[in-house]
Formats: sequence, structure tokens, C-alpha cells
Amino acid sequence: SSTAASSTVGGGGSSEISGVKKTSKRPKYSRFTQQELPACKPILTPRWVILTFLVAGVVFIPLGVICLFASQGVVEIVDRYDTDCIPTSSRNNMVAYIQGEGDKICKRTITVTKAMKHPVYVYYQLENFYQNHRRYVKSRNDAQLRSPKEEHDVKTCAPEDNVGGEPIVPCGLVAWSLFNDTYSFSRNSQQLLVNKKGISWKSDRENKFGKNVFPKNFQKGAPIGGGTLNISKPLSEQEDLIVWMRTAALPTFRKLYGKIETDLHAGDTITVLLQNNYNTYSFNGQKKLVLSTTSWLGGRNDFLGIAYLTVGSICLFLAVTFAVLYLVKPRQLGDPSYLSWNRSAGGLQ
Amino acid sequence: MDPRKSIDKPPHHDPILGVSSRWSVSSKDNKEVTFGDLGSKRIRHGSAGADSEMLSMSQKEIKDEDARLIYINDPDRTNERFEFTGNSIKTAKYSVFTFLPRNLFEQFHRVAYIYFLVIAVLNQLPQLAVFGRGASIMPLAFVLLVSAIKDAYEDFRRHRSDRVENNRLALVFEDHQFREKKWKHIRVGEVIKVQSNQTLPCDMVLLATSDPTGVVYVQTTNLDGESNLKTRYAKQETLLKAADMESFNGFIKCEKPNRNIYGFQANMEIDGRRLSLGPSNIILRGCELKNTAWALGVVVYAGGETKAMLNNSGAPSKRSRLETRMNLEIILLSLFLIVLCTIAAATAAVWLRTHRDDLDTILFYRRKDYSERPGGKNYKYYGWGWEIFFTFFMAVIVYQIMIPISLYISMELVRIGQAYFMTNDDQMYDESSDSSFQCRALNINEDLGQIKYLFSDKTGTLTDNKMEFQCACIEGVDYSDREPADSEHPGYSIEVDGIILKPKMRVRVDPVLLQLTKTGKATEEAKRANEFFLSLAACNTIVPIVSNTSDPNVKLVDYQGESPDEQALVYAAAAYGFLLIERTSGHIVINVRGETQRFNVLGLHEFDSDRKRMSVILGCPDMSVKLFVKGADSSMFGVMDESYGGVIHETKIQLHAYSSDGLRTLVVGMRELNDSEFEQWHSSFEAASTALIGRAGLLRKVAGNIETNLRIVGATAIEDKLQRGVPEAIESLRIAGIKVWVLTGDKQETAISIGFSSRLLTRNMRQIVINSNSLDSCRRSLEEANASIASNDESDNVALIIDGTSLIYVLDNDLEDVLFQVACKCSAILCCRVAPFQKAGIVALVKNRTSDMTLAIGDGANDVSMIQMADVGVGISGQEGRQAVMASDFAMGQFRFLVPLLLVHGHWNYQRMGYMILYNFYRNAVFVLILFWYVLFTCYTLTTAITEWSSVLYSVIYTAIPTIIIGILDKDLGRQTLLDHPQLYGVGQRAEGYSTTLFWYTMIDTIWQSAAIFFIPMFAYWGSTIDTSSLGDLWTIAAVVVVNLHLAMDVIRWNWITHAAIWGSIVAACICVIVIDVIPTLPGYWAIFQVGKTWMFWFCLLAIVVTSLLPRFAIKFLVEYYRPSDVRIAREAEKLGTFRESQPVGVEMNLIQDPPRR
Repeated sequence: SSTAASSTVGGGGSSEISGVKKTSKRPKYSRFTQQELPACKPILTPRWVILTFLVAGVVFIPLGVICLFASQGVVEIVDRYDTDCIPTSSRNNMVAYIQGEGDKICKRTITVTKAMKHPVYVYYQLENFYQNHRRYVKSRNDAQLRSPKEEHDVKTCAPEDNVGGEPIVPCGLVAWSLFNDTYSFSRNSQQLLVNKKGISWKSDRENKFGKNVFPKNFQKGAPIGGGTLNISKPLSEQEDLIVWMRTAALPTFRKLYGKIETDLHAGDTITVLLQNNYNTYSFNGQKKLVLSTTSWLGGRNDFLGIAYLTVGSICLFLAVTFAVLYLVKPRQLGDPSYLSWNRSAGGLQ
Repeated sequence: MDPRKSIDKPPHHDPILGVSSRWSVSSKDNKEVTFGDLGSKRIRHGSAGADSEMLSMSQKEIKDEDARLIYINDPDRTNERFEFTGNSIKTAKYSVFTFLPRNLFEQFHRVAYIYFLVIAVLNQLPQLAVFGRGASIMPLAFVLLVSAIKDAYEDFRRHRSDRVENNRLALVFEDHQFREKKWKHIRVGEVIKVQSNQTLPCDMVLLATSDPTGVVYVQTTNLDGESNLKTRYAKQETLLKAADMESFNGFIKCEKPNRNIYGFQANMEIDGRRLSLGPSNIILRGCELKNTAWALGVVVYAGGETKAMLNNSGAPSKRSRLETRMNLEIILLSLFLIVLCTIAAATAAVWLRTHRDDLDTILFYRRKDYSERPGGKNYKYYGWGWEIFFTFFMAVIVYQIMIPISLYISMELVRIGQAYFMTNDDQMYDESSDSSFQCRALNINEDLGQIKYLFSDKTGTLTDNKMEFQCACIEGVDYSDREPADSEHPGYSIEVDGIILKPKMRVRVDPVLLQLTKTGKATEEAKRANEFFLSLAACNTIVPIVSNTSDPNVKLVDYQGESPDEQALVYAAAAYGFLLIERTSGHIVINVRGETQRFNVLGLHEFDSDRKRMSVILGCPDMSVKLFVKGADSSMFGVMDESYGGVIHETKIQLHAYSSDGLRTLVVGMRELNDSEFEQWHSSFEAASTALIGRAGLLRKVAGNIETNLRIVGATAIEDKLQRGVPEAIESLRIAGIKVWVLTGDKQETAISIGFSSRLLTRNMRQIVINSNSLDSCRRSLEEANASIASNDESDNVALIIDGTSLIYVLDNDLEDVLFQVACKCSAILCCRVAPFQKAGIVALVKNRTSDMTLAIGDGANDVSMIQMADVGVGISGQEGRQAVMASDFAMGQFRFLVPLLLVHGHWNYQRMGYMILYNFYRNAVFVLILFWYVLFTCYTLTTAITEWSSVLYSVIYTAIPTIIIGILDKDLGRQTLLDHPQLYGVGQRAEGYSTTLFWYTMIDTIWQSAAIFFIPMFAYWGSTIDTSSLGDLWTIAAVVVVNLHLAMDVIRWNWITHAAIWGSIVAACICVIVIDVIPTLPGYWAIFQVGKTWMFWFCLLAIVVTSLLPRFAIKFLVEYYRPSDVRIAREAEKLGTFRESQPVGVEMNLIQDPPRR
């Protein structure tokens, strides 16, 4: 910044050159340079403020009601099975049980309390599972998932990068910990089909996971984290993996397992045969099976509705309060006698 | 003896040198005096003719080790012993090769960049890599690149102008003749011939000139901006020798190169004779030779060592008050940052500790890496101590924008924008000098809105410094009637040799006096009147310059000189028929009503501030020798012949009347010298003027000896007109609560009178006058004053008038405190008879005792110290050169521009900057807190749901432009309102725009808003299938919308630029988020589209926006409605037009009051 001023004193040459042009230094007049651009100057008058709050209240309360209705309309059945699916004998060492060999089949019975229109979404819900753990989310490689040419690009995937020098596809902790509990449903001893197609994002299937990328060396290493993959299917068709790889934002999350394409009626008893393979026991993670319908707003969650109602009521309350205040104790806007110097002068008189 | 001959005779060998065989007598205080130093200030007062300091400088002697030796006309020998710089200059900073390293080095002098760099480097450590390489380096690289391009362009231009400069040609004596040589090849020791109107290529000691007496005239416009001519002299000894350059041999021993353009000391030895050289013997690079056909000089300083180049530095850099105040909050934010990082590190540690046995089996942690060896080794786990350490620093990286480094860059941009508008303000353009406002310091714009104390020079600042001769008092008789300004009288002109000579400026004459002078020497009165005007025409240092007009028969006589008072007097003399036509160092030619007379100047005692007078000894055509003395009345009456007591008394009465009218007065005296007196004076003058030690003192003594027993001739009164709009401006500033101090060298009556006419003083003010001659009496009167103000309690109406003598006792003394207390209670302070060095002392007195802002405004070199001392220095680019401007932070043409500058621009800039700082703190903290809340839900690891690119772009693209635009363009009140109600300026003085309280309110709001932005979606999506990227995008967009709407809520004036910036930023942010999400190799691929098609997303967004801004909106309304600030009321009044209906009472009443006249 010192350079701007420096040419004025010394270096006679430069100042002489500029001295030749004898034009007036008068600044060019424009509304812009005089900071007089046409402008709108809104001020917060009581009317405007009260009106704003009124409108906000009037809009928010119905929205809140609509949200609550949407949420209440969702039928949701949640069944926590992580502890129940461990035989009582192994309950004091659940980790050993889950890591042990053998079939860990578990049978659960669910009663449908309210009619559920199809499609009924089947979710597994994990709690206390930090899929957003920094160490975890970084341990993946998106390029490798997309193109076979990048299969050696595994350096971000440690500690699950390669096995015996060969790269793992898909590499990284995220893929390695693929959820592998399985559910099969039957109603009145009649199989309920679970549609596992189209549970992932279309954009992921088409552009993110390669159609010619096949699993390699997956779950070949010493500790096995979770599910295995069918090595003959390209990644773009491994929808469970695709869903799993969309890491959850919060430590309590659901992931779509499939869809039941038939209506469920109130009072139906559904038997679930599940394979309890996934180890959440080492960190007190909970596993829940969720059957839920959906609304235009999403799943069952009253929070937003309540929030809208609360904010709406506050706005209405403020509108009323301000209106009362305004009527009881108004101030004339723009009255110069309120100016501090006029006030003190008035005080003296 | 014939006085005409004596002056041409070379002086005899100096007796003093015979005693001192050494070259120099070392002086202890041989310190370098720089451009802005007090020592180099020229004191301008009354008939100030020359620089007394110049002479005193030359008596100091040079130590050998501090000297450079120059062999005249022997550059080879000169340059073989010392390495002197050549004459090629290089203002360009970089070459092609050094550009990159040097430019980077310079850029990293900024703390902000270092912070960026440290964070970026931390991020490169594998354990700490939070962001990818690109994202972490991008912002820094961007800023560096932009600055580098700007620097490179500027440097390119400097290279070009250097090349032009270096290739100019000069005549250099080489191989027995003068040859053209490029400037860059000129060496120290060479002899150069400069012709009229040429620019000097380097600093040279004059050897000879075309004038037989060795005088040259130079114009120093390029050096200090002063357009009048300065006289410089060649030594008599070298004058004759220079005709034969071949045999010229001698050497010069001079001081090392320094920046003081008003000082030079050297000794020259020619043919074994030693001469002393002073600042009047050197001509400097950048000056132009005028009125002299040619001059010969020997190069003493060349190229970068010339005084012009050494002075080639920018304006002093100051730091704005707001920025300094802001540092406290920056520290608070740093603490806040440390707290956040500590929480993150501590919670992470607790988690690791409680799960230490399970780390290998936890699916999302898995400590061991089995791929290398069967037993496994720890992967990215270094023990939990290290993990805490790494987490802490990772947190620092993630939360880095908590410290709003981008704020510094935004502030710079905003200031540039503000400066642009100030510079382009039509109302601060001065037509008469064709100068627009100049912003020389770019970092204290907002200080203009907080000024509490204004220190103003009087002459040239409050007044025009265009002196007009008003009254004459001859023999105690007052002649002050003047012909009307629009009279038909053509003004005086005279025909000489068929050519009509006319003074350039017309002076209105007193017809009675004019008639009197025309009667010749008939009466005693007429004789006195003639004597009076002769002394006015002769006793000065004015150089007449005769210039051609369009009519070949008419020539204009223009009087050039360093003192405007002298100019006015010489023009007055011309109007009465005493036309000064020619001046050389040896003689002057005066045309007395058509008859050309030649007077020999036998001696000239220049003005100095001790004697406060100057004198000239003339050999008149009638062979008599006369001494004419002119000076301030205080110094003149002491040296008058007592026998003229009656006249003196009458004159004193007249003088009092003049100065009461605000006129500047001078007294003229004369004496005829007889032969013995002259002889005696002449020998001591010769001895003194060639003395090497204490020359100035000796000369002063010689002058003092001869300037005695004078006969009073008369007195003059000159009006120094107030600039247009000064009274109104002072009135406005006073109403604005600014304490105005006027510091002037004038005497008390003049000062008080100007005080009234400028409305600094009003009739209803009680005046407290302090004129003390001793410490005790000064203390007494100050304490009395203090007590009387305290008891009366009418603090608004007290004016303090204090003179320079009293100030001597006050400054550097415990009395400073008392004076400050008194001054605090006074509404106007007038300091008269103030010496330049005291001006800075007074400013310092106030500045050191209060945290309020001070502003000093002045136009002359004597104001430089004050301008530099004050928090804000304003220079008036007027009559007295550009030194004040060079030292100032802001420069303008007229005093009255202070009103728009402070009340309008200062107010705006302060409000804008204050708001901008708070907003930037808020904006960054909101984002950091959103990131922080998320960490509590990611197992205390520093995962960010918001993509790293968005984190980086957030403060660069998403939210930066609106705040800069608002900082430049928003106006809380219109110009007219601010001008009409100066009280509104109090906002800045009371620091209402930015304070720690406001900071805390903002921070509480920040926490609420960040919580609303974070927790609403978190609860809404809890236990749902939402993925990290989608939620991150929601948070990003919500933050950007809220932050921009927050700003929109506070914008006062919406013009199309504001609209474009705010809405454009939101759109730009959305576009960026979309662009980031269409990259398939990023985890967030397509997330924004997936989440954007759900209603949930939009419902969350709406809820977030309303919920976060709700409290702020409600509280803002309540405060503005029920606790309205002045600004708010004025804004309402401005909009509703209620100002016009009820005019405020207090303002107009004062304006009507007429300044009382005595």
C-alpha cells in the first residue's frame, strides 16, 4: 500500500510525466460516486413488525398441524433384538457369542397394531454406531468404487486396504463393516416377500458404483467385519453395500433393508427369522428392526410439527404483545424531540 | 570605503580556522534530522524570509567517520576510495528472478497470512490432515496470487518510469568539455552544467551560475510541492574559478546522505582555503532551475542517495482505533477457540479412555491394521496422549475461521472502497486549487467518525493565507480607507523603455495616502510615506519575476517569495508607486514612480524566530547607507529610539486596533548608518558569515548589534482572510461535540479576533486568559481557572486562551494535568504565540491523557509534527507547499471540508466498519459452532458433515461479498441529515457502533442461531435414513441463508447493488453446493438433489430461518422502538420528513449570533 504514495516525492520523472496532463481533477459526478443511488429505506415500524409476526404465526401453526398429521399418519413398528437374540447362556459374553462360529438364527414375533399400506419399508436401525466417526468415514475410496482402473488406489482405505499385497475392492472400513444381519418375514406362516431392489439412490447405482467393478479380496483378511459380497455381481447391483456406503449423519440411524409390497393389517402377527451376525455388542450398539410406512414428509417424527407449532405460537404471542404495547405505550416515529440533545435541552427548560 | 565594491570582494582567510587545525570540530548532537523531524521545520512568522534552522545546521561540524570526501571534477579519485552509489535509480522492487521469493516474503509480513500459512502447514501433517491439500491451500493461494499480480503490475510501471528517468541526458564535464551523458552514468564528483528549466539529475553543490553574484533560483515542486522560487548561492570563491574547469581542484567533505531536505553541512577546500557550505549551497535532485541561464555544480549525492530518493517513502502507517479495540475481541475469540478445541480434545480423550479395551473390535474404529503382519499394528493410533494432542490441533484447523482472518482482508477492501467514495466526493473538491480529497492512509477511515479533539492551525488552515494589505500607519497616522473593490481604477502600472510593467496583483489603495506619496518629498509627512514604502519594497527576500502577457508591450511583474506577508507588502508598495523590478544578491532595482533606482544590498539579516525581525542594509543612490528593519511589534519596540516616544505611542494604539480586527501587524523601522558604524558592522558581518562554528549565532549577534536605535517608520496591517465556510464549519464541529483547539503563532489580540470571526469564540462565552511569565504564576492562574469553572458549572461557555510563554511552563511539567483538566471543561481553546514544536506538545498532552481521538489539521511545514502526533492528521494542500500533505493521512483543499469528512464520511465509515466487524465475528462463529455441535455427535472426532470445500468457500464466496458491499455502500443516515444535525456525530465519539457489550450480545445471538441451525435438522432427522452429505448440505445452505438474511435485516439502504450482493450470494452458495455434489468421486455425490426433493428439507429450512432470526428481530424492534438511538430517530424523521416540520431549537440559535467586533 505504500507504493501508491511513493511516486509523489522523488523520482522526478514520474511526477513530471503525470504533470503534463493538465486536466481538472474534479471527480466525475454520478449518483454512484456521490453515494446517492436510488435506494429503498425500510424501517421497522410497529405495524410492519406486528404484521410480520402475525403472518409468521398464521403460517406456522397450520404448517405445524400438517406436519403433526403427517407424522401421526405413519405407522411404525420397532423391535429391538440385539440382546434378545443372544441365548441367555451367552448373555454375559455377547461379543464372544457373536464372534463365534455357528448359526445365530433368532426368531422374533411382531404384531401389527395398525393397518399399514404398502409399501411397508423394512429398516434396520443401529444406535450408538458412529458411522460418522472421522476414522471411519475417511476409510474409503470413491474412485475405486467407480472404475476398475482405480482399484489400486487404496491408500486412503487403511487399515482395510489390501490383503497379502492385493488391493481389496471395495476397500476401507466402511465397506468392511457392511451390515450383515438378514431378515425373512412370514405372516401366518406365509412368506412375505421383501423387495431389495431399488432401495439405494438411483444416482449412486448409475454413476457412483461401477457396473464393471467387481468385489475382490473382500473380507479375506484376518478379522471379518461384516457381510460378504457376491463376487459375480458388479458393485452397482450390490444395493445393500450402496445403502451402507451412504454413511449416516447421526449415531442413531436407519438404513433401508427392503420393501414389503403388500398391505399389512391390524392384528397381523409377523414372524421374523433373522440371522444375528452383526457385532454391535463390543460398543453397546443397539440393533432394531423397523417396519414403517412413510408419509410425504418422511418417517414418524413429531419434532418438526411441534417446532412449527411452538414457533408459530411464539410469533402470535409476540404479535399480540407488541400490539398491546403499541396501543398502551406508543412512540411517535421520527419525532425530533426524542433526540438526545433535544431531550436534555427540554429538561433544562 | 565604497560599499559597492566591498560585497564582491572575496572574504579574507578565516581567522577561526587558523586556531582549529582540524577539519572539523565534532559536535555531540550531530544527529540526523529527518523529513518530519522538528529540527527541520521552518518557522513561518511575519516576514519569515529564510530558514533560521538552515544556518544553525551548518555550524555543526562533521566527524571524519561520518563524512564523505568528494574531489571536485575528479570522479575517478572520488570513487576509488569510497563506494558511492551511481546515479541510476531503482524504485522498482523486484526483478524477474527475485519477484517470487521477495514478493512472498513481503506478503508474509502480514499476521493474517502467517495464520493462514501455519494452519495450512499443520494441515499437511498426515496425522492432522483435516482438509485435502487443495482445500487447505486454496484460500491462501488465492489471496497471495491476487496480491502478487497487483504488485507485479505496479512494479512493471515502476520499471518503466525508472528507465525513462535513467536515460535522461545531462551535460557533464568530461575530457575538457561539456558532453551529454545519460543520467544513470553520472558519478559523484563530476561537474554538471544545468540549464534553465532543466531538472536536476542529482544533488549538487553549486560552483558557479550565470549570475555574477552566484545566485540561482530553483523550484522545488517535485521535492516538497512548494511552487515558489528558492534562492541558492554559489560560493564567491568558486564562482571565479569555475570559468576554467580544467584547473579546478579541490575537495568537499560533506555529511553522509540523509533525508533532511532542509539541512546540509559540508566544508570545501579549494587551493588550500577552507569554506563552509550550508543548505543554501546545494541544489537537489528533482528541483528545476528557474530564472537562471545555467548553473554549474559538483555531484555530491547521486541516485538512491539523493535527498529526494531518500524521502521517497509512503505515508506513515497508522492503526485505526477500531482495529485496536477489536484486538480485545479477537483475543476473546481465540480463547473461545481454545475452549472449543479443548472440549473436543477432552471429550475425545474420555471416549478413548472408556473404550480403550474395545478399540480393536469397534467396527467404526478398528485400531489394528492386520494387513502388514498377522499380530497387527496400530493404525493411526499413537497412544491416547498423542490422540488428545492431535485432536486438539485438528480442532484448531477445523475451527480456524473462528478467528476471522478474512475480516482483515475484507477490511482492507472496504477501506479502499470507502476511500474511493471519499476521494470522489463532489463536496470535498476544491475548485480554486483543483484538488480533490486525498486518502493517503488507507487504514484509519473509520477513525474519522470518532474524533473528539480537533487541533487546527490558523494561518492557511482557517484562513486562506492570501495576504491582503489593509492598513498602513505612518508616523502614528492611520491610513486604512480603501477604494471600493469594484473601482474603475486600473491599478498601478509604469512604462519603462516602452514596455508597460504591471504588478500581477492589484491592491486597493487609500486615496489619501496615494496622494501623499505622489507629492514627492515636499512635506515631512510625504517623506515619511516614501520612506515607508521604500522600506516595504526593499526590506524583504521577494524575487520579482517579469513575465510576458498576450500584449507584447505589457509585462506582468510577479512577486515570488517564501512569505505571503512579504508578497502582500511588496505588492502594496508597488501599488503606491514603488515597483520592485529586479533582485540579485548584490542589488535591487526599484522603480519609484517611473524613475528607476538601483540600491546595493550591502547586507541582509534574515528572519529568525529569536529576533523576530529581519533587516537589510542598502547603499542608496545618494551614497547614503541605510538600515531597514521590519519585524513583529514585540521585538521592534524594544529596539526603537526612545526619542520618538509620541509616535511610538500612537503607533501602538493603532496596532492594537489592527490586531483587534484580526489583522497581522508588522512594524517597520530604519536608521541611517554613518561610515564608522558601517565599517564596524561590515567587518563583523564578514567574519560571522564565513565562520565555521556558530555561524548562525554570530550572525544573529551582528544583526542584534546593528538593529538598535531605530526610527519608527510605520506599521502595516495585513488581512489574512478566513476561508469560505470556516465559521459555519467550526460551529458544526462544535455542535458535534468536537473540542476545537486553535493553535496559532499570532499574537493574542489577533488570535482572539480571528476566534470571534471564525465563531470559535462567541459573546456568551466566558474567556479565561492565561498569560504568565513564570512557573508559579502559571500554576496559580491555571488553578484559579480550574476552580472558577468548577464552581460556576457552566462548562459549555468557557473559552481558554493561553499563550506560548505560558505553554512553555505548562508543557513537560506537572501543570499539564491541570491544563488538561481546565481544557476538558472548556468548549474552545485558543493557543496563541505558539512555536511549532509546542504544537506537537499540545497534541501529545491531550493524546496521552485521554482515549479520545485527536485530529490535527494544518497546511504548513510547522504543522507537520502536530499532524504526525495526532491520531488523524489532515493536511491542507494550499499555499504553503505540500509538506503538511506529505505527512498527513488525509489531504484536502479547504478547512470546511472537515465537516463532510467527519460528520458524513467519518460517521458512515465508523458505523459501517463497526457493524462489519461485529457481523464478521458473528458470521464465522456461527459456522464454527455448527461444526462444533456436530462434533458432539460424531464420537468427538472432527468429522464435518459440511464438505471441506464448503468450509473453505463459506467465508470466501458464500458470505464475503455482501459484507464488503454493505461496508462500502450502506448509509445509516443521509448526508443532509448528518450535516443538519451534527450531534449525530456523537455516535462515534461514544463508540456506540462497536463495543465489547455489543460483542457479547452478538455472541449470544450467535450461539442461539447456530443452535437453531444445527439442532432443528438434527432432531427432525434423528433416527432417520439421512446421510452425512445430505444433512451437511442442509446445514450449509441454512447457514448461508440465515447469515445473509441476518445481514439483510440490518441493511438500511437497499439499492440494486445491495440486492445483487445479498441474494446473489445465496444463489452463488447454492450453485457451489450443487457443483460440489455433481462430482461422482466425492462421497456426497448427488446428495443435494436427493435431499432437495424431500419436503422435509424445505420445512427444516423454513423453520431454521424463522427460529434463528426471531429473537434478533423481536429485540431489534423493541430496542429501536422503545430505546431509540439518535440515529434511529433521525432515520425515521428522515424517512417521514418530520425534521422540516419542527426545526430543532438549539442549533439555529447559535448560528444566528453575530461575531462581536471590538
